[in-house]
Amino acid sequence: MQYLVQLLISGLAIGAIYGLIAMGFAVIYKSTGLVNFAQGEMTMITAYIAWTISTTVSGNVFVVAMGAILAAVLLGLVIERLVMRPMLGEPVFATVMVTIGLAVILRSAINFIWDAYPHGLDIGMGRGIVHLGSIGVRTGQLAVIAALLLLLAAIWAFFRYSKVGVAMRAVAADDRTALLMGISATKVHALAWAASSVIAGIGGVFFALSYDLSPAMFQLGLKAFPATILGGLDAVLGSGLGGLLIGITENLAGGYLGSGMKEVAGFAMIIVVLMVRPFGIFGERDIERV
Amino acid sequence: MIKHLAAAALLLTTACLAIGPAAAADPGITDTEILIGDVEPLTGPPALLGVAASIGHKIAIAEANAAGGINGRKIKYVLEDDGYVTARTIQGVKKVIDVDKVFAMIGISGSGQSIAVMPVLEKSGIPTVIDVAPVKFLWEPPRKNVFVVGQSYEEGIIHLVNFLADKNPGKKWGLITQDDDYGITVRDGFDSVVKAKKLNVVYSGNYKKGQQDFSSDMLQLKDSGTEVFLAGGIIAENIAMMKELEKLSIKPVTGIFWPGRIEPVLKLMGPAGDGIYAVDYVEPFAGAAGKAFLEKAKPLVSEAELKGINRYTMTGYAAAKVLISAIERCGKQPTWACTIAELEKTKNVETGVMAPISFGPGVRFSNQKLQIMQADTATLSFKPVD
Repeated sequence: MQYLVQLLISGLAIGAIYGLIAMGFAVIYKSTGLVNFAQGEMTMITAYIAWTISTTVSGNVFVVAMGAILAAVLLGLVIERLVMRPMLGEPVFATVMVTIGLAVILRSAINFIWDAYPHGLDIGMGRGIVHLGSIGVRTGQLAVIAALLLLLAAIWAFFRYSKVGVAMRAVAADDRTALLMGISATKVHALAWAASSVIAGIGGVFFALSYDLSPAMFQLGLKAFPATILGGLDAVLGSGLGGLLIGITENLAGGYLGSGMKEVAGFAMIIVVLMVRPFGIFGERDIERV
Repeated sequence: MIKHLAAAALLLTTACLAIGPAAAADPGITDTEILIGDVEPLTGPPALLGVAASIGHKIAIAEANAAGGINGRKIKYVLEDDGYVTARTIQGVKKVIDVDKVFAMIGISGSGQSIAVMPVLEKSGIPTVIDVAPVKFLWEPPRKNVFVVGQSYEEGIIHLVNFLADKNPGKKWGLITQDDDYGITVRDGFDSVVKAKKLNVVYSGNYKKGQQDFSSDMLQLKDSGTEVFLAGGIIAENIAMMKELEKLSIKPVTGIFWPGRIEPVLKLMGPAGDGIYAVDYVEPFAGAAGKAFLEKAKPLVSEAELKGINRYTMTGYAAAKVLISAIERCGKQPTWACTIAELEKTKNVETGVMAPISFGPGVRFSNQKLQIMQADTATLSFKPVD
């Protein structure tokens, strides 16, 4: 039993990180109809910026958090303005290719700006081990589960009650009608990129707290993508829950079927789910295939 | 008059033909310079290795240039980034040979990359000293122009597992490896000792390249009752494994392989890494030889490069030193043929960073002496124990 509980807790912790990044995918898709293949790289860049702030400016947790959030907002806005906006009106395939190119550039930027060494994000918390009974968990792992749940609630409220959230849903539903109603699609797109960058960046920072930073971190994007597909590419909250499901499935597969099955399990799961619900567990039926 | 002109032209042509081969025999040499080429992963995760190796090459070249160069010619280093992508390694090697027209090659990326590029190197005939990833394919069968400085992965693992087995008789063993050529090599080395010493292996796992969360793997390891653990990751994976074991409150006797035997790894492992064993053929930086090497490097490289130094800097330095010394022995007009012949004659060349290097007729592998080291997290260093 203890073995199972340990697997579930570890699965929830890594799944929460996948969930946050998956929500980043979904926010952009929901607002722009685009799959951003640079999501993992944006996650990684924000985590590296947080590490730089912690080692050069201040290791204070609030300074690092605020700095990282601001940097993530800026990163999202800059990418939207300089890279994505000029692609407006171009075929979806071309735009998706641009995000792949962006991913390669951001990945290489890590070595140019920082280095290839692994680094630990030390802000005085998150690395300690607490024991829940006889089960050891890092405080950062517990914190990321809490952060995901809080963000899920906040995002639900944002889309449900805030003017901006409603405007984003309107643009996602029908951007031409939204334009006629006075909603600026470009502003909504910019906001979506900034929000996506921040949400995924939070996942990256928590990952760095619990597992360290390395140039291989971009692969988190590849792990989070099945979570988005599973939850529903257009379902922000569903993507978050999809992350938890993928994390738990991976860990159970690794723990009971063998370590080689761990990385395969998430992808096997989405194949099965997509055969039954091609639009994901929480997605809407009319997803346009790209 | 025409007869005289024709005779003069004939004479001139004959003279050119006579001196031509000597003056333009091999590329990469002018009156003032000798070009040496290299292709390394300078971006992507293995950049940690490639950048460090290239710094080692630069240190040896800067040292030789400071001493006047090779018989008066300054050495120029041409470095290409392959991003650890095999197609780019081949492209890069072709570029430095055909476009930059270097005189010799050094380094050459990772194991898969250097294997893939071997036909290009062999066909070109260019003198080459490989130092980053010593795998048997590179010297078995021996290629005329390709020399390898280092020790084989199999021998390294065998040495490490033998040491741990002798030190921990009758214990339960666990192993995890990466699902690629590197992992297969580690597993092959391990298996050969398992058979010879009849080790009791209770856990055997493998992971997908790029895996970052080892929670279920290490939980299985704990559940199996493993007492001696061979962590077959490269760098970040070993850190993640050790920290996971710390979380699970177990500390088996652990061995790691030399790609991860770098000081930043210990810093990240923290107390979890204290006492782990590693095998290597280059000197630890904590020892006198390592300290002397760092002192030598300081004035020759930039501050940023100094921070990028790790064990691969030593392998790069040693290989460059061997190559430079061979070219030097060829005198004022070095050629490929002479350089290859002199490389073959390399006998007990001291580099200060590993045991003396030797090759021989038909011997293209330096077969370096191995040593076991143990991690000391208090000083963030590895110290020899055998």
